[in-house]
Formats: sequence, structure tokens, C-alpha cells
Amino acid sequence: MSTSCNDLQKLNSVLDSFIVRKTIPSLSSILEEPITHFLRNTQEIPIINLDLIISDLEEMNVMSAVYVKCAGDIHMGMLLYLPEKESKTLAAKLLGKPISNELTGIATSSISEIGNILTASLINAISIDTGYKICSSVPGYAVEFFRTLVEAVVSDFGNESDTLVVSNIELCGVNSGMDIHMLLIQDPSEVKKLVI
Amino acid sequence: MNRVIEIKMGGLEIITDETEELKTFVGSCVAICLFDFVSKVAGMAHVMLPKKSDGTKFAGKNDVGKYADEALSYMVNDMVKKGADPKRIKAKMAGGATIFAHESETSLFNVGPRNIAFLKQILQENNIPLVSEDTGENFGRWVRFNLQSGEMLVTSNLKKFEKII
Repeated sequence: MSTSCNDLQKLNSVLDSFIVRKTIPSLSSILEEPITHFLRNTQEIPIINLDLIISDLEEMNVMSAVYVKCAGDIHMGMLLYLPEKESKTLAAKLLGKPISNELTGIATSSISEIGNILTASLINAISIDTGYKICSSVPGYAVEFFRTLVEAVVSDFGNESDTLVVSNIELCGVNSGMDIHMLLIQDPSEVKKLVI
Repeated sequence: MNRVIEIKMGGLEIITDETEELKTFVGSCVAICLFDFVSKVAGMAHVMLPKKSDGTKFAGKNDVGKYADEALSYMVNDMVKKGADPKRIKAKMAGGATIFAHESETSLFNVGPRNIAFLKQILQENNIPLVSEDTGENFGRWVRFNLQSGEMLVTSNLKKFEKII
């Protein structure tokens, strides 16, 4: 592993402050309810051991997910995911009408838009603090098991190191109980850019 | 009951024992399997990317299967050392899905199709026939190769299918 525990802890705190400052207010405004959050951990994981972040619960549920890739002065991938059932509730709330069957068309766009907004809020916070110029990709949307999502994100991220730095964040709607998860991935060489 | 060897992301394994099977899970990555059915030598790699962007060679750690070009070259060499005849080596592959869809015209998130295209190109360059494949689409696959039968079992939990290629 190339990242020290100290740097991982610092990165955890820095990301936490960005999330508190920008991401939570953004989500709270969209969902019209207070949001609690929990930055579970930031760890460096060998790519070959990525199974470590796939819990049994996540392995069993089909998830709706949005993936956004950030490039520029900093390179970061963000996967936002929640159980497919809950994503229908989220889409219904955003669109103001119930979602009957499968998520299609405008309903999937609305979930993608949430991913877009939450990523933008985070990179906005990073930019304000560091002055970095960061661009985000268009959001990609998928409905799959968590294992497939992680595999696709890690592959697409095109990381050339043997390890990845992964931060696991949980955002929860206080009134609705809606649980949205975010996975942030970075190359270990990028960590120093945020923990100066 | 066969012993199942699970291949992790970017990993690669070679087997010569018919009571062993190779297994991996792929989304946009590709499970490429080379085998010599006569000598009973097979290898499987979990390929994540076509090749290293900076042109440097594999550093010698655990992820020898990560890049298509390095994985194929390593697999053929190691299989030959273990008794395979290069002229008899055949290939099967699965995976290379495009998991994330988007509304833009750009070629974002297309690492799956790029992996497939590149693997086909280097198989052709190395005169290794691709005898069967289950690739593309938009879902993850469990892939299992049985050396005794030469069959590759492909299953999708999401689409609830199971096929032998």
C-alpha cells in the first residue's frame, strides 16, 4: 500500500467537510428534508481484493446506480447507488408522480440527474477549497447487482496502480428514511492533492 | 466435485488438473480462456483494460491478467511451459458488457467493447481461434471453465440465464 493511515484519515476528514458543506445541502434541497450522513471509511484496497467492499446485503439486492467520472486537476470516480425499489420512490418524489413498473425514460434521467448534482456539489466544494479545475462526465445509469457496478466502475476508471483509494458514504433522508450510497474512487497518487 | 479456482479482478490462473475449474465474474471486463484440450492445459484471465496507456510493462505483482496484451502473452507462454502445443490452443471468452448507459453521443463508458475488440485483434494476430463467446450486452456474468469438458458456463443473476458456450 502506498498511502499512509494518516493520509487516509486526513482524506476522510477533508471529504467529510466537503460533503457537509455542499453535498448534504444539495440533496436536502432536492428531497425537501434534512439529510444525515455517515462517511463509513476511506481505505486503500488492492484491486484484486475488491470483494472486500461488496457486502452480502449489497450482493443480494439489485441497485439503481449512477456513475460520474471527474477529470482535470484531480481524477475521481463517483458511484451513487441505492436499491432499485428505493430508487422508484426517489424518482417518484423528483417527478411528482408514482412510478408504476420499471424505471425508464424520464425516471432514469431523474436518478442520473441526482448523481450529476451530487457530484457537482462535491467537485464545487473541492474547487472552492483548492482552486482545482475539475470537469465531470455525463452520468452513466445502470440497474445491476453491486458486484457488477463496482467491476464496471473500476474497469472504466482505468486505474494503472495495483490499488484504489475507496471512500464509502451513506446519505439518509431523515423523514423518508431513503438511503443513498456514494462510493468515491481515486488513484493513490491523487490523495496528496487533497490532503495538503 | 471439482475444485474451483476463483480469479479476481486483473488476475490470471493456469490449470493442468482436470478436477479443477476456473471461475470469475465479469461486467465490462472480459474473461478470456485459452485451452489445449489434448494436453489438458487451460488458463483464464480477468482482463480489465486493452493495454497500458504508458507502454510500460507489467511490474510483476498480482494483476498479470489486467491488460489484454500482457495477459495473453503470459498465458500462452505459461501454458506452453506446462505442456500445451501453441498450434492447438483455442480461446473462449465472455463479458465486455456496457453496464452504464448515458444520453450522450460520446464514447464514454465503452471499455467493455474496447476490451472485446482488442482481444479479438490480438487473438487473430497470434493465430488463436476464438471458438465461442458470450460478449457485449449490459449485464454482469459469472463465468466458469471446465477443463475436463472444455465447456464454459456463463450465468447472469440479473437476467436469470445460464448457457454453455
